[in-house]
Amino acid sequence: MKKKLNIPNVITCIAFFAILLAFPIITAFLPKESFSQTENRTLQSMPKISSKSVMDRSFMNKLETFVSDHFAGRTGWIKAKNSMEIALGKYEQNGVYVLDRRIVEKIDEPDYDSVDKSIAAVNKFAEENNMPVFFMLVPTSAEIYADEIPENAPSLNQKEFIRYVYDGLGKSVTPMDAYSVMISNREKYIYYRTDHHWTTQGAYLVYSAAGKKMGYTPYGSNMYDIEHASNSFRGTFYSKALYDKTPPDTIDIYHCNADRGDVEVLITSEFGKEPESYDSMYFREYLDVKDKYSTFLGTNQPIVTIKSNNDGGKLLIIKDSYAHCYAPFLTSHYSEITLVDLRYIQISYKQLIDPKDYDQVLFLYNVSSFASDINLRKLAYD
Amino acid sequence: MVFSSLTFLYYFLPAVLIVYIMLPNRITVNGIKIKGSPLVIPARNLLILISGLFFYAWGEPKYVWIMIISTLIDYTAGRLIDRFDDSPKKRTAFLLVSVIMNLGLLAVFKYSSFIITNINGIFGLGIPDPKLSLPIGISFYTFQSMSYTIDLYMRKIKVQKSLIGFTSYVTLFPQIVAGPIVRYEDVAAEIEERTVNIGKISEGIGKFVKGLAKKVLLANNIGIIWTQVKAMDYGEISAATAWLGILAFTFQIYFDFSGYSDMAVGLGKMLGFNFPKNFDHPYMSKSVSEFWRRWHITLGTWFREYVYIPLGGNRKGIGKTVRNLLIVWGLTGLWHGASWNFLLWGVYFGILIVIERFGWGKVLEKLPAPISMLYTFLIAVFGWVLFDTATLTDAWNYIRAMFGAGGAFADSTSSYIFTSNAIVYALCIFASTDIFGKLVKLLRKKRRKLAEYAAPVAMVCVLLLCTAYLVDATYNPFLYFRF
Repeated sequence: MKKKLNIPNVITCIAFFAILLAFPIITAFLPKESFSQTENRTLQSMPKISSKSVMDRSFMNKLETFVSDHFAGRTGWIKAKNSMEIALGKYEQNGVYVLDRRIVEKIDEPDYDSVDKSIAAVNKFAEENNMPVFFMLVPTSAEIYADEIPENAPSLNQKEFIRYVYDGLGKSVTPMDAYSVMISNREKYIYYRTDHHWTTQGAYLVYSAAGKKMGYTPYGSNMYDIEHASNSFRGTFYSKALYDKTPPDTIDIYHCNADRGDVEVLITSEFGKEPESYDSMYFREYLDVKDKYSTFLGTNQPIVTIKSNNDGGKLLIIKDSYAHCYAPFLTSHYSEITLVDLRYIQISYKQLIDPKDYDQVLFLYNVSSFASDINLRKLAYD
Repeated sequence: MVFSSLTFLYYFLPAVLIVYIMLPNRITVNGIKIKGSPLVIPARNLLILISGLFFYAWGEPKYVWIMIISTLIDYTAGRLIDRFDDSPKKRTAFLLVSVIMNLGLLAVFKYSSFIITNINGIFGLGIPDPKLSLPIGISFYTFQSMSYTIDLYMRKIKVQKSLIGFTSYVTLFPQIVAGPIVRYEDVAAEIEERTVNIGKISEGIGKFVKGLAKKVLLANNIGIIWTQVKAMDYGEISAATAWLGILAFTFQIYFDFSGYSDMAVGLGKMLGFNFPKNFDHPYMSKSVSEFWRRWHITLGTWFREYVYIPLGGNRKGIGKTVRNLLIVWGLTGLWHGASWNFLLWGVYFGILIVIERFGWGKVLEKLPAPISMLYTFLIAVFGWVLFDTATLTDAWNYIRAMFGAGGAFADSTSSYIFTSNAIVYALCIFASTDIFGKLVKLLRKKRRKLAEYAAPVAMVCVLLLCTAYLVDATYNPFLYFRF
């Protein structure tokens, strides 16, 4: 006797196999990107098979990563999942907190032994070079908007961290207070909502406050033409959270009316090679890609020198990427600024630059990168 | 390859299933004659064998030969036990070859480091530790193979003459790496002849997706909490953090393992097999004895059939019964891993079961159900501390932290763990009970049509949700792989 076909069972079977077949087939026809702009990371390429890669399972592991990296609609799946979790109250995603108005970083408790090494290296540098050395640690948005982070969520107390670091600085280093500037301007647009950097306005406010100690007279905001270069910036925090409801950011460029003529920007990307020369501090090609913050002086490079026609001395900045939108303000007051990124220098800085060639030195870091930094100690090497 | 991976779910599974469904059980090739009769290819068994070896080798390419050789030896031992049916001495000898080989494999790959380290410690020797890595699933497939030769020796089953038939039993991919421990007796008839139809496939799909959800949505998400808490300094965590941590593991191991078993049972159904049930809401048990009748049922059955009963079970007086129970539970503990923690974990349950046998069980029966359930649940929770901490010292320190040795009762860490994961805990508690199953049954009774049509809709939603989690999988371990 033949049983009657049960319709729901048929639906179950058809739906199951349709789903299981549809995604691999769609995936097969999609072009394979090697880099994900949205996630800001390199994707796994098709691994090569060999008896060695099979026996040590590296082939299988890579193939499984390849499958998930190129799975049809990958970012859509992740966005859907994250949106659901956030709606259910799981604000912590992939190392960031997704808040109502912005995304901020979850900064882990630092390794204080490592922090002490960085402080000691800065002190040693200042003592050896016997010149005006300024040190500025900029808090990140996680501190300034700490009240928006869910209660009890672990988050580094950056105010105390900055105090700890400043207490450790020797007499030859002048600490610069960025914290109180940022906290008193927290209602303004001083941090990107979707990126870990400060905005040009945030940098401008600190530049205005820092003039007294560093010896320049900052220009008032009426001296600048502000250009809204992009309204569609989604930064690194967006890449981590993949959450669309946080509004995209605006990239502002401040053009100072007092500046005399053009600047020359020299970028050393590889040692032993001639630096490349540019006539602007703004790399507008980055406005069309995801990494729009690199509009400011390009991506991180070992050494960048900005030569201006303005009056003033020579400044050496040892920095992370927070300096990229800060340095343009300083060019109005210095004839030459050199930015050094220790993360990209593997030899002693003494082989590349002589601090004696400069009038002042500024250390400029944000708390997050300074707290986990392992490169400042290179300053102590010979 | 794990079931909860995109590679398995979207590539391996549909490919194997579709070919499998289209194939008949056997293909008769009339053109080729062997001894006068046409060649018969057991097509589906052959596909199970090939896909199973591929599946196993994907996860364990180095040790796939161990499984192949041990299967060949067990097959041969089986044939010889059958061949020398009238010679008790020879039959016993062939059984011993199989049992010693299987236990020997376990001894070498699973226990050698433990044994050597302890001998070195006790006698002050320096025997080098070979530090062999544990072949995936060895604890499962050796036990399955032994069930065949032992049952054959006991004349409970008929010999499997087809090498493909026997090998397909061992390499059946749904259960090869993490159970359930399917005894040969359970599937003997289905290896010869089985039917695959829409009803079975659809039932299998339902079971599989349910297991997938347990693993991907519940176990993985709650497991993250335990990973964090486990790494903390037990001397400093608050009591609430310690409890939240071990509760997270309590749910993780249950949904991880029972999810895997559900997926295996579901896949078996799709292929036409009926695997035995492995879990039955263990956290609703009212006594420890009941807990073990509901937790990893196939392992309990195996030890009962092949250790407890042959030792005399409970028929030889109180003294022997206690001895037999403690042996079985010591072995159950050691089966889970070669360490003192596991041995103690097993003996802990053994002692509690002995106590229940001699009076305490009667008391538990009389207590109100919520109290006896809570009692059993807490016994299990303390057991998991022993189970998943690295050393006995760690276990002790962790239990102390649960009683407030870290100082505070609760702190900001415990509050954050709780508030940001309250939904996951609530879902896990709900899914540990049989309430959902009862609701579904009620709906089937009252509104049969609605219930029937809701099933495929729910299946699709859950499958898509699990896919979203798998695409973003940063945390997807399988706990029972290391046993």
